[in-house]
Amino acid sequence: MHPEEQQLRTITRRHFFSDCRVGLGSLALASLMNERPLLAAPANDRQTNPFAPQQGHFPAKAKNVIFLFMAGGPSQLDLFDYKPKLQEMDGQVIPESYVKNKRFAFIKRDAKLLGTRRKFTQCGQSGAQIGDLLPHLQTVADDICLVKSMRTDVFNHGPAKLFVNTGSPQFMGRPSMGAWVTYGIGSESKDLPGFVVLQSGPRGPRGGSPLWASGFLPTTYQGVPFRSGAEPILDLASPPGIDSNRQKQFVDAVNDLNKLRLGETQDPEIATRIAAYEMAYRMQSSAPELMSLAGETADTIKSYGAEPGTPSFANNCLLARRLVERGVRFVQLYHTDWDHHGNAGTELGKSLDERCREVDQAMAALVKDLKTRGLLDSTLVVWGGEFGRTPQGEPRDMLGRDHHIEGYTMWLAGGGIKVGQTIGQTDELGYYAVEDKVHVHDLQATILHLLGIDHLKLTFRFQGRDYRLTDVAGNVVQKMLA
Amino acid sequence: MRIVPVYRSLRPWRQLKSKDGYAFSPQSPESVVSVMNRFHWAWAGSLSGLLVIGAAVRADDRVVDYAADIKPILTKHCTSCHGTEKQKSGLRLDTIESARRGGDSGAAVEPGKSAESLLYQAVTGAEGIAVMPPKGQPPLTPEEIAILKAWIDQGAKAPAEDAVKGPVKGADHWAFRPVVRPAVPAVVTPAWVRNPIDAFILARLEKQTLHPSPEADRVTLIRRLSFDLLGLPPTPAEVDAFVADTRPDAYELLVDKLLSSPHYGERWGRHWLDLARYADSNGFTRDFARSIWKYRDWVVDNVNRDLPFDQFTIEQFAGDMLPGATTEQRIATGFHRNTLINEEGGTDPEQFRVESVVDRVNTTGIVFLGLTVGCAQCHEHKYDPVSQREYYQMFAFLNNADEPKIDVPTPEQVAAGMPQKREELRRQVAELEKQFETQAEAFQARLTAWELALTDDDRKKLPPEVLNAVNLALGMRTDQNRKDLADYYKKLPAARNEFPILEEILKIRGSEPVFTTTMIMQERGQPRESHIHIRGDFLRKGARVEPGVPAVLPGLPADLKSPSRLDFARWLVDPRNPLTPRVTMNRVWQKYFGRGIVDTENDFGTQGTPPTHPELLDWLAAEFVTASPPLSKGRAEGVAPHAEFSGAWSLKRMHRLIVTSATYRQSSNHRTDLEEVDAANRLYARQSRLRLDAEIIRDVALAAGGLLNPTLGGPSVYPPQPDGVFEFTQDKKPWNTAIGPDRYRRGMYTYLWRSSPYPAMTVFDFPDANVACTRRNRSNTPLQSLTLANDQQFVEIAQGLALRTLNAALEDDAARLRFAFRTCLSREPNAAESKRLSQLVSQQRAEFAANLKEAERLTPPLVPVKANVQEFATWTAVARVLLNLDEFITRE
Repeated sequence: MHPEEQQLRTITRRHFFSDCRVGLGSLALASLMNERPLLAAPANDRQTNPFAPQQGHFPAKAKNVIFLFMAGGPSQLDLFDYKPKLQEMDGQVIPESYVKNKRFAFIKRDAKLLGTRRKFTQCGQSGAQIGDLLPHLQTVADDICLVKSMRTDVFNHGPAKLFVNTGSPQFMGRPSMGAWVTYGIGSESKDLPGFVVLQSGPRGPRGGSPLWASGFLPTTYQGVPFRSGAEPILDLASPPGIDSNRQKQFVDAVNDLNKLRLGETQDPEIATRIAAYEMAYRMQSSAPELMSLAGETADTIKSYGAEPGTPSFANNCLLARRLVERGVRFVQLYHTDWDHHGNAGTELGKSLDERCREVDQAMAALVKDLKTRGLLDSTLVVWGGEFGRTPQGEPRDMLGRDHHIEGYTMWLAGGGIKVGQTIGQTDELGYYAVEDKVHVHDLQATILHLLGIDHLKLTFRFQGRDYRLTDVAGNVVQKMLA
Repeated sequence: MRIVPVYRSLRPWRQLKSKDGYAFSPQSPESVVSVMNRFHWAWAGSLSGLLVIGAAVRADDRVVDYAADIKPILTKHCTSCHGTEKQKSGLRLDTIESARRGGDSGAAVEPGKSAESLLYQAVTGAEGIAVMPPKGQPPLTPEEIAILKAWIDQGAKAPAEDAVKGPVKGADHWAFRPVVRPAVPAVVTPAWVRNPIDAFILARLEKQTLHPSPEADRVTLIRRLSFDLLGLPPTPAEVDAFVADTRPDAYELLVDKLLSSPHYGERWGRHWLDLARYADSNGFTRDFARSIWKYRDWVVDNVNRDLPFDQFTIEQFAGDMLPGATTEQRIATGFHRNTLINEEGGTDPEQFRVESVVDRVNTTGIVFLGLTVGCAQCHEHKYDPVSQREYYQMFAFLNNADEPKIDVPTPEQVAAGMPQKREELRRQVAELEKQFETQAEAFQARLTAWELALTDDDRKKLPPEVLNAVNLALGMRTDQNRKDLADYYKKLPAARNEFPILEEILKIRGSEPVFTTTMIMQERGQPRESHIHIRGDFLRKGARVEPGVPAVLPGLPADLKSPSRLDFARWLVDPRNPLTPRVTMNRVWQKYFGRGIVDTENDFGTQGTPPTHPELLDWLAAEFVTASPPLSKGRAEGVAPHAEFSGAWSLKRMHRLIVTSATYRQSSNHRTDLEEVDAANRLYARQSRLRLDAEIIRDVALAAGGLLNPTLGGPSVYPPQPDGVFEFTQDKKPWNTAIGPDRYRRGMYTYLWRSSPYPAMTVFDFPDANVACTRRNRSNTPLQSLTLANDQQFVEIAQGLALRTLNAALEDDAARLRFAFRTCLSREPNAAESKRLSQLVSQQRAEFAANLKEAERLTPPLVPVKANVQEFATWTAVARVLLNLDEFITRE
């Protein structure tokens, strides 16, 4: 069979005409229906439930992903990657050999090196180097794996963010990682979307919806942004005057009439729509329940530094745990404003302090909380930005660094990750990754691998080519694997 | 032949160079001889097993013959990688023409200069050049190298017959073959056949002993036609009239009426806008607003006019280059201005200009040729005969435009002499600005002082571009930054007080008439040089290329000296081009049947699916490009066919042909007998049920609610959208929700922000407008349910329908139900449906009787039936159910 057709078959697989039992709700319908048999789908059928969980290519180490996306590009040199040589050469023009033929967003090739003004500590059994701006993270040093040798391809925010998320730096309709994952293996959540995006910080991430788009995959798999507040999903609340009971009466009536039409036309799309209305109705109560933090103890809330009702990264971390607890496959948290070029509000002093305070306690609490609840083994946590920052400073009002793609730091924790280790190194100035280089495509391949997906095999035929998240590159980083 | 043996090897040379610091030019074989002579042969030979042995021939020894001497060498060593099958690095050495032209790195042969010829450098392993043949392949013998050298030095001559091109690889692929109008097949049951389309479909069905489905009932037919041609539902009165129309050509008359409706241009214009990746903002991270709706209106107008598709294409591609180009023709070039613009700080403008040109090439490939030419941006196309060189030849056509915007004053503004008035005002401003220049120094001093005095709080209030400039050190500012800053400061009261002339300038500027602008393409006088971008990297320029088209397709006219974008456009719609009509007809078919005759509508290459009905596709393509009167089977005697639908490239004619076919008119009900043999309905033994497109869902709902404002065109509008949409964008977008008539315009006029598209349309698979969309997904999700059930605009629509129903002065609930049902679904409810809906009415009435407060909440303040909120709420609840039915948003 032609691959395109095969794909189509998989997506629109239809078993409706062999299995005729009702599986959709418990609506008293019999009297209304014609004598024609009711049509229903097996619970795992992707036609009725596009998120029906699927087997990966091999057993998964992690079930869910929480990706803490530090939008703007945090400075690895002030948080993780301490370089004595850089301190020594502070203020000197960077040697030409480093920057020959290099382009930068703002600085010139004759920019001066900038040593960090921050202190670092060797933490935990592993002696991981973590900056003192992240005291809480220091306490979970043995539960994370630092990668100091990250590399990416592009140095502007929009393209670089898109690259991490879709494997391509161009706004050309590629699916995002969460879309690929839920397309590949579905989601175990019955009443929440499989791919949820949360956001904190002064603005949304640059690039907007293409970052969590489904691209050429079915639209079903695009990330669903959860806004702050009780109704995180657009149009979640019933209209004024319609309470939960009347909404149920509404859904029942819609579905009863749809079933009559299904009997008439035999079109399985109608069965899917019936299921969609039922799930939408469930979401109307499950999403506010999720957002309410109901059932969380004061201690738990405090440990994250969250304040119920106040949107924050801390709140979102707690929500992320609640989401994976409820089976949501892929949760992405954007926290914006890490773009520290060196002006008031964007500098490596106060601004960096604030960003770190906003994320440090919560992300450490997330790791601990997941661990306490036995969820860390099945949840992959990823932390990092679209790129790092240059060893050179910028000639602006205050301390700042430009965008850097040749070597920067991320960390991972949880399901399938060999923790308590640091992978990779940069050179003595912290400029180039020189050991165990991990390219963005490698990271993507590894994330998929941990979820039981072979990044070479998770493909989608589009415009005559089998596309994948990792484009034509990517190697699973064996050293990361437990 | 006297041969002087010379040893050369890349590796020993490198060693030699590094050890001795020996200066040696790889371009000079003479120095090679002299250097090598310093070594003992045996020593050199033992140094490395990888030694490539070269030879030098004195050029005057004898005349080398290409066919006898050179071609055998190239065939033996080179053409397996650089020939008809493969063209690594874009290089072919199987013909003299292509050898001279060279590959990605430039010409392979410089006649008369062997030392400068890449071919010679490669086989002799010159420094910095990959050694050829590659490791593992036998190297050329010294004799062979010597002959090659001599041949180049003698001028690389070759007989003309070798310049004749061999057949292009892949040319026999079905899609590249010329369109030949096939004979219409004979069928067993000709009575079913209404036009030739049906003969092709039926012949195939009969082959598998399948029979077509019966014709859909008239209600379904008028609804189907209205959705497909207008994107609007028929009114119950129109349905009744059509059902009662006993004329034998009632159907055809309806089709003609719909094709003449201005809403046809909206429906099919919007399909085109999917391909054009139209939106109202720049995309990327900042995603600022842009004004290009004039292009959108141009499309709608010209689809309505049925501008022949060849002209439609030419104007959009190169309207600016047509002799005496009109404003309209220049507006049309907005087609290729719908690319993204990156306004992020710290970007390289050339990088993103090149990215837009790349997008234009790829879009052209997908939209007209149905080819994934984009694959050849970085390397030779893996599957289709499009080389990287050919990719950049097409790139070269599109690389010479400036990208300005133009003013488009309205006819009223023109009549009032506004453009002249503005010119006069601008002249005055220019004069004043000239005067102001004398105070430039004083101004700059004030500006600097002001900037230094800015507090953090002040800075926060600056507009983004000004803040951006302020944030940059003086040395890092561009002219644009300086201008942003100065322009901003000039408008501040402090500056105007200090420099009264600024006040005057501002005043005049404020009185300038404002014109709508639109973005266009404008060919440059001096074309840009185009090069192959090695690995698709715009910084790595390879060989220079001239504009050209893929060799696998019919060429440009032979007499064209320097073909232009206009010639490219003409070539796209040259009737000899087999792809454009096939691809276009396939996409039209896809809209009517849910999928194309070629399922991979964006890939007609070798990786695409072959057509299910190749003859039908070719028949449609041939019919499309040929002028012919419309077929009139079924038309009553004496009714003249529509003359305007008879020209070549007329899309209306093709629409008419397809929708009047028996194939199109079939019922869409599923048939159990087809489930096994044709589950995907590829043989068209029935029609397909298709969920309506995103913007059409809104339109049909507005129509049912009696709210639709059918005005055509104009600036994009801001219908209601839920709060919180811009929480996930970098900047909050302006969205002044319309409270007047623009609140209920058709969905296609909604303002389209690329970074945060209108959620109620996105959720129904509206394209993201970042790249051309040739087929929309049809997903079916809970978020769609939430939108239809709860979104404010759909609640308003339900209220509108409730109001209509209650105001229709009907005698009882049954009549009201029937009214609302028919308004939404065109047909009568059946007994089971009526029963269930009656239950709903009673249930909701009881609910709201017991909860009058709730009923009030569901009743908007201005509704005239305020007196009876219970009834209003009840019927709103009923309307809401009807508007959420699968059938309501489905074309059956």
